[in-house]
Amino acid sequence: MIAWKWLRSWEAVLVAALAVELLALGAINPAFLSVENLLFSTSDFAHVILGALGLTLVVITAGIDISGVSIMGLASIVLGLSWVAGADIWLAVLIALAVGSLAGTFNGLLVANTDVNPLVLTLGSMFMFAGIATGLPGVLDLLGFKAYGAGGFAAYQYEGITGLPKEFTALAHGGLGWVPNPLIAVLLFALVLSLILHRTRFGRYLYLIGVNPNVARYSGVPVKSVIVVVYTLSAFGAAIAGVILTSYFTSARSDLGSEALLNIITAVVLGSAAFADGAKIAFIPKLTGVGFFESGGKAPSRWARKSARR
Amino acid sequence: MNRIVKNRELLVLAILGVLIVVIGAISPNFLRPTTLINIVNSSLFLMLIAIGEMFVILTRGIDVSTGAMAGLAAVILGVSLNAGVPLPVAIVLALLTGLAAGAVNAVGVTAFRVPPIIMTLGSLGIYRGLMLLITGGSWIETIPHSIKSVAAFRVAGIPALVWISLAIAVAVAFALKNLKQARYLYAVGDNEEGAFLLGIPVKATVFSAYCLSGLFAGAAAVVFVAQIGFVPMQTGSGQELKAIAAVVLGGVSLSGGVGNSMSAVVGALFLTAVDSMMIFLKIPGFWNNAVGGAILLAVVFIDYRIRCAVKDEQQRARAREMDQSTPERNNPTAGSASVMGKAT
Repeated sequence: MIAWKWLRSWEAVLVAALAVELLALGAINPAFLSVENLLFSTSDFAHVILGALGLTLVVITAGIDISGVSIMGLASIVLGLSWVAGADIWLAVLIALAVGSLAGTFNGLLVANTDVNPLVLTLGSMFMFAGIATGLPGVLDLLGFKAYGAGGFAAYQYEGITGLPKEFTALAHGGLGWVPNPLIAVLLFALVLSLILHRTRFGRYLYLIGVNPNVARYSGVPVKSVIVVVYTLSAFGAAIAGVILTSYFTSARSDLGSEALLNIITAVVLGSAAFADGAKIAFIPKLTGVGFFESGGKAPSRWARKSARR
Repeated sequence: MNRIVKNRELLVLAILGVLIVVIGAISPNFLRPTTLINIVNSSLFLMLIAIGEMFVILTRGIDVSTGAMAGLAAVILGVSLNAGVPLPVAIVLALLTGLAAGAVNAVGVTAFRVPPIIMTLGSLGIYRGLMLLITGGSWIETIPHSIKSVAAFRVAGIPALVWISLAIAVAVAFALKNLKQARYLYAVGDNEEGAFLLGIPVKATVFSAYCLSGLFAGAAAVVFVAQIGFVPMQTGSGQELKAIAAVVLGGVSLSGGVGNSMSAVVGALFLTAVDSMMIFLKIPGFWNNAVGGAILLAVVFIDYRIRCAVKDEQQRARAREMDQSTPERNNPTAGSASVMGKAT
């Protein structure tokens, strides 16, 4: 009965579409259908899924957060700068995650304490975070740290902060067997978020706030703090994505992930049938949504690149 | 106070004026007419896109494909000029391209009921893809010089494009105030069902809003190509969000039904002026986005605080009025009448 119900759901449609798509591409070129190829190609869009996962929580509360893509770049550049300033690379990762999450707290405080549309607020903070991420290396350079590396500003603009330790840059390229590390991070984050959503009171509050914030307020839900936590969580996901991107591209750049905004929104929209109506959203489909969209858009060219490399 | 609340443009314009005076005090060169004219001139592209965006946001929709539509129209303009099409025809072609691109969005939103953000996200990808298909991914650089003469033409020392764009903005503002069909935009944005029940052609109104957005994106493309003389592949990329930021800064409400074309003009001018001010303050260009974002947040926040304060004040006035009318409680109609009189 449950299986039958699932088959008729939106997720099932997406999974079916994904299967059809993969089979069709596989028919055109059988080499595409190797499990290893498919699994490792997820590393190219792990950051999109991480951003979409966090954003889903925000969308459930009938909000929106488009500043995540800038938080990816901010986290990346903070990671690089902390390392340049002499921090241990793992401490630098922690600092990056903390700064990224704080950026989300900033969003959350704004959204919770005004009646301004969250799209406007996060649009403003998106520009702001991106600007801070681009400006920070210059400040650090003025302070005497060599943020620009040996090649100076021109080289920095081209390649970002490079020379990060091998044990960190190898992280995003490694994996457990056939499962690459970025995908493991995505699955863990998805698991944690779905546990929060479906097994905690906090998770249920999100749906209530999404349906009717006034009812939530009158029933004693601490609406403001829940909102702040949600935007912080969303930013935390983006910060993880920023760290993974830094490791994947072996350099810290302020524009990492900046292209992902529309992909992230599309993933959330595709994964959830009702965008405007926050409460109707089921959670797990995000993964299928992103998988469908990304492999549809890029898989063939990615496969071509990979096979050319071999 | 009430006037400022009703007119966010005035608030933003006042802040802009103060900023210009302050920057002028620090760096007198900033106040030279050429500098100020250049600021207006370089804001035209964003301004036209923002005016188009405004129509859609008035109806409570959103159009994130404006930048891509402008890019596509710019490519069409460049390609047709290179193919030997006469300048006026090429310009009309660019405008039609924008209009057609907007009409595609309009069909999706009205006929197929696709949510605006999804529809325009999708078409953004399509239009960017079309740009690549048409040009093969390379910039269009060898455009005949006739197009640049459009931007070089000046009337009273000010580029003709500035005069034309501002005239269009004023005409749009006038139309929004006085034209019945334009008032429909506000009605639909404020309350779609109510507008429908009043017999307003909701679908036609929304349809025309998206078409206008495309048309203005096309016009922006013409200005862009005339000003720089070539078409880079990333033309208009990221401008859709800047345009939304500009109209919101100028006081258009994303919940529909509030604002006019002056909001778009003031917002675009403000964002462009800030970029120039950074240059005069010798602050590296990569801080522009940080400052622009912070200003947007600050203005929206200040606006929120002012609205709260005014609302409080109105409620206190109302409470005083109620207190004064208590002796008349024996005659309820008199009491309520006086309250009503105050409220209106």
